[in-house]
Amino acid sequence: MGADPLVALLAACAQRDRAAFEQLYRQTSAKLFGVALRIVRQEDLAEEVLQDCYIRIWNRAGDYREGLAAPMTWMASIVRNRSLDWLRRANPEVIDVDGEIIERAASDVEGPLAALERLQDGAALARCLGELEAKQRQAILLAFHDGLSHSELAKQLREPLGTVKTWVRRGLAKLKACLGARAEA
Amino acid sequence: MDLRGKPELQQHLAAEFALGTLRGRARQRFRRFMAEDPVLAAAAQDWELRLAPIVASVAPVQPPARVWRAIQERIGGAPLQADGIWGNLSFWRNLGLAASGMAAGLLAAIVFITPQAPSPAPAPVVVRVPSNEMGATYLAVLSDPKTQKPMLVVSAGRSSSELWVKTLDPAIHVPDRSLELWALPPGQAPRSLGVIAPSEKMTALKLVAAADQAFAEIPALAVSLEPAGGSPTGAPTGPVLYTGPFLKYW
Repeated sequence: MGADPLVALLAACAQRDRAAFEQLYRQTSAKLFGVALRIVRQEDLAEEVLQDCYIRIWNRAGDYREGLAAPMTWMASIVRNRSLDWLRRANPEVIDVDGEIIERAASDVEGPLAALERLQDGAALARCLGELEAKQRQAILLAFHDGLSHSELAKQLREPLGTVKTWVRRGLAKLKACLGARAEA
Repeated sequence: MDLRGKPELQQHLAAEFALGTLRGRARQRFRRFMAEDPVLAAAAQDWELRLAPIVASVAPVQPPARVWRAIQERIGGAPLQADGIWGNLSFWRNLGLAASGMAAGLLAAIVFITPQAPSPAPAPVVVRVPSNEMGATYLAVLSDPKTQKPMLVVSAGRSSSELWVKTLDPAIHVPDRSLELWALPPGQAPRSLGVIAPSEKMTALKLVAAADQAFAEIPALAVSLEPAGGSPTGAPTGPVLYTGPFLKYW
């Protein structure tokens, strides 16, 4: 594994090093704000989410385990988890009047896989996503990026709810089998 | 819904929880299951970490500066551990050195102090120093190092045995905690000068010796956040909130 400078910053945060925490924030907040914003869709909510998450990261930096995930992956999982909680609270209507979400997703189908492959913990995921059927992959990436529920997915994709649920379920099962097989190989 | 003895359903729900498709009440219910079942919680976290690299393709968006300020405020009250800057003697040495370097610039700053701008057009606050009435005085303006905003003015007549502390912003006091003032002798441990009274705009602190003896070799002062009543150990235990060079104004 190449040395990720964020690993050292997280370790320093666990020692209550505020300067390291500021560095960590400078280097990661734009990406994490992007993640939160895309799910909660309102700037003020995304700011709240980001605040909460960095407090959590500051308080829990000692829990980070390098062998488990890259620092960005660990932090992104915290931000996604929190963003999804806020979605439930705020319940913003997903309105895709001009088809922006679908358009973005269409361009994502190539995009995320290429970006993933460059990451140390993303290459296997990229290969496994690539092995899914196109519809399964599209549904999973849409749900992931835009925080869409099953019914929102059905609306966006103009497909029956049951069909979309099946795509997601089968897609995730295949993904697990693929990732598991690679982990054991 | 009973998840016991249904590992496949457990795995599937953990995956949908991490993906985000498990929503509303179902998400809350799954959280309760996780709280009772560490295996389930681990499965969900495993999925979260598996899927999270997908954020690689999300476009970064610079958050507004107020987010970082709010985060700093929220972690500001957390006590530093022993290996923080209070334990680090070179921090104090550097602070003392920096303080003497700042001395020249500070005299001008005392005359025209522009506080952090509240919106909209703020009028600059002019603090007049009537030097002809003031006499020989030790003087410090302590400010927040991040915002550069002056928070306290500390002064003592050269031959006086009282130190006066003026609080420029009453909001600096934290409920159930005390603000303690410290002299920072170069290369030595900080020396307590007393606790700043929360209810008064001006606090007088009794000095053990006349100012000239107590402060001749003190280049800087600092204020730390302490438990109510002041540091229990005689050394600072909480974060440094405000600092400033200590000057001879004569």
